[in-house]
Amino acid sequence: MSKERRKSNFSDYLRRTEQIAEKTLASGWNETASSIEPLSDIILGAAEVVVTMDLPYVDPNAVQVKVIADDTIEVRAKTKHKISLNDLGVKHRKGEFNLYHAVLHMPVPVNEEGMMHKLKRGVLEIHLPRQT
Amino acid sequence: MNGLPDVGLVGVVAGSQIVSSIGMKEIGSIESELFPPLVVLHGGVPKSPIRIYGKESLVVIIGETAIPAGAVYPIAEAIVDWASSAGAGLILSIGGMAVQNRQDIESPKVFAALSDKKLSKLLNGSAEVLGEGYIVGTYALMLKRCAEIGLPAIALLTQSYYNYPDPEAAAAAVESVNKILGLKVNTSELLRKGEEIRLRSKDVMKRTQAEMVRINKGQEYDVPPLYG
Repeated sequence: MSKERRKSNFSDYLRRTEQIAEKTLASGWNETASSIEPLSDIILGAAEVVVTMDLPYVDPNAVQVKVIADDTIEVRAKTKHKISLNDLGVKHRKGEFNLYHAVLHMPVPVNEEGMMHKLKRGVLEIHLPRQT
Repeated sequence: MNGLPDVGLVGVVAGSQIVSSIGMKEIGSIESELFPPLVVLHGGVPKSPIRIYGKESLVVIIGETAIPAGAVYPIAEAIVDWASSAGAGLILSIGGMAVQNRQDIESPKVFAALSDKKLSKLLNGSAEVLGEGYIVGTYALMLKRCAEIGLPAIALLTQSYYNYPDPEAAAAAVESVNKILGLKVNTSELLRKGEEIRLRSKDVMKRTQAEMVRINKGQEYDVPPLYG
């Protein structure tokens, strides 16, 4: 492979990496689906995977967690009331949100059986047993 | 005083509350080609994302965008050198200290890292001196540089979430600042508006987290070795 071709491939790789990083960092306000992608964290333990999620304004009685594949979970949580971008000081975009929605890939396969979740101080904590 | 984006955005939230509560005026900004090419619109006016507020002898620096990893060294050096040349008597930096069981903590504790042990008497019981551990980022470099040039500096680090905005931790930090500087900043608004602050700060937190990964901020969890 020529030096120029290698340089071009590397530039393409860098550009793709930057695009992925920007997409990952993009705001999670989905106006079309009226949903918000929450901030989340995944901790891999010896026997379980612990997922936490920051859910301000969430309705504690409207939180659903599902294991939709061996290594993927889906969280849907309704807010106590509709939140508009206008309420948050954003005037140039319109949008109302009443749902937190996240699809998260787990670092290892997990079981739905034995899964537990609790909401404390507006932070959801999900415990998922690892598959053996 | 520094309120830069960091763990739990504790410094930004606490610093903003102090600025608005005591009616500080914007007196300047920090500009650098190392920062992202952006401005923040407030009241229809473009502003730098890192601004300086002042009132009487108090100056507060607030950052509304994550400090890029490549700007950490220059910004730490610039702030300390500027404070030193302006004759500052104390640099107080407000930040968070991530704890994994944050949900279970009712009243976050505040710890203080000092540039000089003698500064512990300034704390007035508002924070516990941090004897051992790692600090990573802008405040770490500022503390080290202040120790080298003999400028008193305290980094107030409050137990907080790592990557979620934490207004409760910010309120605890402000209470400590009140005791150290003799201010009377009300913290009830931070607690009352906690959910709104968390939601509005979500995107800044996300970008700050990405920069924290780049500077190995997670090393603050590490247990320090025995020698020292």
